[in-house]
Amino acid sequence: MRSLSTQPVARLLSVAAVILLVGRPVAGHHSFAMFDSVNKTTITGTVTRFEWTNPHVFIEVDVPGANGQVKHWSVELGSPSILQRSGWKFSDVKPGEKITAIVNPLRDGRPGGMLYRLTLADGSMRGNGTAPPPDPVTR
Amino acid sequence: MTRRFAATVAVLAIAAGSTSFGQSKAPVPEPRNLTGVWEPLRGGPGAPAPPPPSPITLKPPYAAAWQARRAAQDEATKKGEPLATLGSECMPYGMPTMMAVANYPMEILQTPGQVTVVTEVHSEVRRVFLDRPQLKTDEVPPGYYGRSVGRWDGDTLVIETIGIAPQVAGYQSLPHSPELRITERLTLTTPDVLQDQIMLDDPVVLDKPVTYTLAYRRLPKYEMVEFVCDNNREYTDEKGVVRMKVLDK
Repeated sequence: MRSLSTQPVARLLSVAAVILLVGRPVAGHHSFAMFDSVNKTTITGTVTRFEWTNPHVFIEVDVPGANGQVKHWSVELGSPSILQRSGWKFSDVKPGEKITAIVNPLRDGRPGGMLYRLTLADGSMRGNGTAPPPDPVTR
Repeated sequence: MTRRFAATVAVLAIAAGSTSFGQSKAPVPEPRNLTGVWEPLRGGPGAPAPPPPSPITLKPPYAAAWQARRAAQDEATKKGEPLATLGSECMPYGMPTMMAVANYPMEILQTPGQVTVVTEVHSEVRRVFLDRPQLKTDEVPPGYYGRSVGRWDGDTLVIETIGIAPQVAGYQSLPHSPELRITERLTLTTPDVLQDQIMLDDPVVLDKPVTYTLAYRRLPKYEMVEFVCDNNREYTDEKGVVRMKVLDK
């Protein structure tokens, strides 16, 4: 498998695809306006549940905080159809696995978000219906 | 194998690939064969540019309400509080929206006397009865897919649909009356690109018919997957806003 770093054009195209999918006024299950489309949050924690379901796949994550308290996050993904077309498998994420997820967080402040990029325990990455996108631009 | 023999074999192989009339055996395009899986094609390298949609003008009683509805949708979206839709509540999209939902594929099946369209998202099914007369609008019970009849006009499949229920979401959130008549013209522009020109004619609501064109790319080896909307974690709050259910563990 080629390293992602050797495919800058593919990476840019995948980002463009995400922007097109999110920004285009086409019919879909629901609007993505509930998520912050600009800012991203990175969470690292332990998977408590992986729902390979319709209309959306979800990853539930316990995220330890600086004070030792655990905060729970719900991470939404595309549908199984969209994900499997980009290389996902229904068994890719397991309860108990440590993951890092970069998400576009909910705009209402609750601990939830739409996945931007997932890093699994083995270091492999997944996008949300596209190839894994590059690191988000720091603003 | 010597080089000369190899060259002879190659020449014979090329000759065997031709008919006795000296023409290639390349597969003949079948302009009336729409059977297969198709995904919406919206731009990108090699994508054809379908004609732009026609302007939308509604009759006065409907125009103000439609514009207010769209303004409310835009305002809510800007605030990050998008309004719920039938789609967000896992209801069927129905006609004509089901013909292009995000980039979900659809499967077209041609059998004697019928063309069947099965969409992946929500597994919606519409049946087009070929070469049968259409009923009157007051003879068809309102539903999500209505009643569709079709006929071939040259290499274009012309489908006429009536009987779309009032609650079914319209193109660009347009309202419609029981008089809505949807005429589609499906044509293969290349063996692997399909266009569906959709005309909405509703003499009660629209000043004049609205026409827009969808394009699709063939997905030759794609296996359609099931899509049962049984874990909808988007809910509609008391203000009609769609929100995501966040779990606490």
